[in-house]
Amino acid sequence: MNKPLGSFTVANDNIAGEAARWEAETRGPFVAANPERRDPFVTQALTWPIKPLYTPADLDAVGFDYLTDLGFPGEYPYTRSTRPNGHRSQFWTMTQVTGFGKGQAWSKRARYMLDQGLSGLILEYDLATTNGYDSDDPIVEGEVGRAGMALDSLEDLEAAFDLPFDKLKYLMSVCNAPQPVNLAMIIAALEKKGVDPRDFVLHIVNGILIEYTCVGRYIYPPEHGLRIAVDCIEYIIRNHPNWAPLSIISAQLQPAKANPVQEIAFSLSIVCAYIDATLERGFTIDEIAPYLNHFVVNVDMDFFEGICKLRAFRKCWARLMKERYGATRPEAMKIRLMTSPTTIALTLQQPLNNIARLGIMATACALGGAGDNMTTPLHDEAHSLPAEEAIRVGAAIQHIVAYETGVAETIDPLAGSYYVETLTKQMEDAAFAEMDRIFEMGGATKAIERGYFQRALGREQYERNKDIEEGRRKWIGVNHLTLPEKKREIEIFRLDDTMEEEQVAKLQALRARRDQAAVDAAVERVRQAARDGSNLVPACLDAVKVYATHGELCNAMRDVFGVHAPDSQLAGV
Amino acid sequence: MEDLPERPLRVLLAKLGMDTHTVGVTIIAHALREAGMEVIFTGLKQTPEMVAAAAVQEDVDVVGISTLSAGHTRSLPKLARLLREAGAGDKLLLAGGVIPEEDQAFLTEAGVHKIFTMGADTRDIVTYLRGWWAERQAAEAA
Repeated sequence: MNKPLGSFTVANDNIAGEAARWEAETRGPFVAANPERRDPFVTQALTWPIKPLYTPADLDAVGFDYLTDLGFPGEYPYTRSTRPNGHRSQFWTMTQVTGFGKGQAWSKRARYMLDQGLSGLILEYDLATTNGYDSDDPIVEGEVGRAGMALDSLEDLEAAFDLPFDKLKYLMSVCNAPQPVNLAMIIAALEKKGVDPRDFVLHIVNGILIEYTCVGRYIYPPEHGLRIAVDCIEYIIRNHPNWAPLSIISAQLQPAKANPVQEIAFSLSIVCAYIDATLERGFTIDEIAPYLNHFVVNVDMDFFEGICKLRAFRKCWARLMKERYGATRPEAMKIRLMTSPTTIALTLQQPLNNIARLGIMATACALGGAGDNMTTPLHDEAHSLPAEEAIRVGAAIQHIVAYETGVAETIDPLAGSYYVETLTKQMEDAAFAEMDRIFEMGGATKAIERGYFQRALGREQYERNKDIEEGRRKWIGVNHLTLPEKKREIEIFRLDDTMEEEQVAKLQALRARRDQAAVDAAVERVRQAARDGSNLVPACLDAVKVYATHGELCNAMRDVFGVHAPDSQLAGV
Repeated sequence: MEDLPERPLRVLLAKLGMDTHTVGVTIIAHALREAGMEVIFTGLKQTPEMVAAAAVQEDVDVVGISTLSAGHTRSLPKLARLLREAGAGDKLLLAGGVIPEEDQAFLTEAGVHKIFTMGADTRDIVTYLRGWWAERQAAEAA
């Protein structure tokens, strides 16, 4: 026992003794006659053993101390909440995922959503764009405009931005690998629209390091990927200080089967790579941390893993900023969380069951502190494009949790639970131990280059799948209470060849009419900036304004940086 | 029981096009390795030409394509044709992922030997591959 002898410890020693007596006299004989349902009981993702009973003795065993481990809401280490009054003054912002469909329809759909009173939108692009190709590149045949908007040149954004910017105040852009090109195009398009950048927030996800780890939409080798991401961070902090230059989408690690400890440790070591590289540009930690503290985190069906993960995330960020970087401003030590029930808990089979799952996961999000924002996916997302009924139910779920359950009426209501505090502390300790391993490797970029994250996730993917195949984890409708398989109705998005042909024709017409000499010179300046290490955003900005295309600029950087092509070992396969 | 094959089955796994969903292919790779097979992964963003060349160069017995994008109706027939043209039409061509039922007959006709859709049990895939390999070896011995 670490603690000095005091009344608290003595009391807990008594409890430990009493717990041993209870085990021998009461529980032991009962279990001998009534064998347990599972052997062993484990948490869903971490597969950590779960004891039959937690008592104050367990808090002693993990070295729990109220003042250092929890403190008070709105104060270091923020375990209980980053907000001084939890959700008693305001609920979290309730948002909804909405399918956008084809890229060309984006402007129309965006107008509709703005008319419904929304003020923020998310801009997603097709896989050609996010992987750094123009629509007429043979390798992207069939992908144009499918997963989002096709963005070849400034011309496409000028059309997409036919929007009422008096209503649109926030735009999130998800285009990680080609980030400087994408950032430049948005800045140029906003300029053309006469939008005052001080009166508007552009939020770029800029999440290239997560792409290498599990998503796969990368172009250049990791060190160059990080450098261009930091070019964007630096450009935004210096030129548009009201904008947001990074989001760590831990919610992409989670569907790749990162367990809570891996999620915290991988996300935070990844953000450290961004922070270290940004500090080298001449900033202080107190200046940059409030720009680099946006995290999107999923909660899965294991109720307590989800709740404890959110609590541990807040605390680990605060400790990291204070202990590793010496941050002093509260804004630097407060993480900004956006939470969401995970879609990977939802099943294609018996889709109405998913409403129950969403309700439970949204409750876990709220009990874990919810964060600034919660998003609920739709219960029939696996089946088809969002239907009106599913959208209504999705919104209602959050309102039911907020208004009917009482979980948000007091701050961090599960604090002090012997189990919750034990699990939170164990996650925190394990996450710091894992981060130490990553820092010893030389940090997240080196860990990516060595395939460390990818292999760790690959193992989790295989093991968690085996848990389901071999029935250790019961999944209702999948391996438990299954129904005879009905023919599944899945709406498959069919290729629309005309849309692709139109986009290609539009791009080729642009190439024919633009000032080619100006384009060539501007593309060469981007190549030069890539080579000499100067910030790529200004060079890209000049180039997109003379209608150099997205793919041409990505190719100019390919010439200098090369491409990332991991083998089986490095891909975690 | 058949005698176990003397050399392990060699399998090339690949992702075609821009589809970057790797969870399925990762699980399959681990399951096949655990079953004693040799597994090579091409990495992401491959063209049918790149996969056909890799299949010949690596001298694999099986080519497994994971697809979660709608491009499979173009890329898989093309890959089957390229393999035949390279004199590698005897390799077992498998496809897995999101492949609608109405596409399956067309793909089989075009030279895809077997399709496992999303949710297939890895143990069934291993059993299928072992069965195919035993038959192939028996046929070669005869």
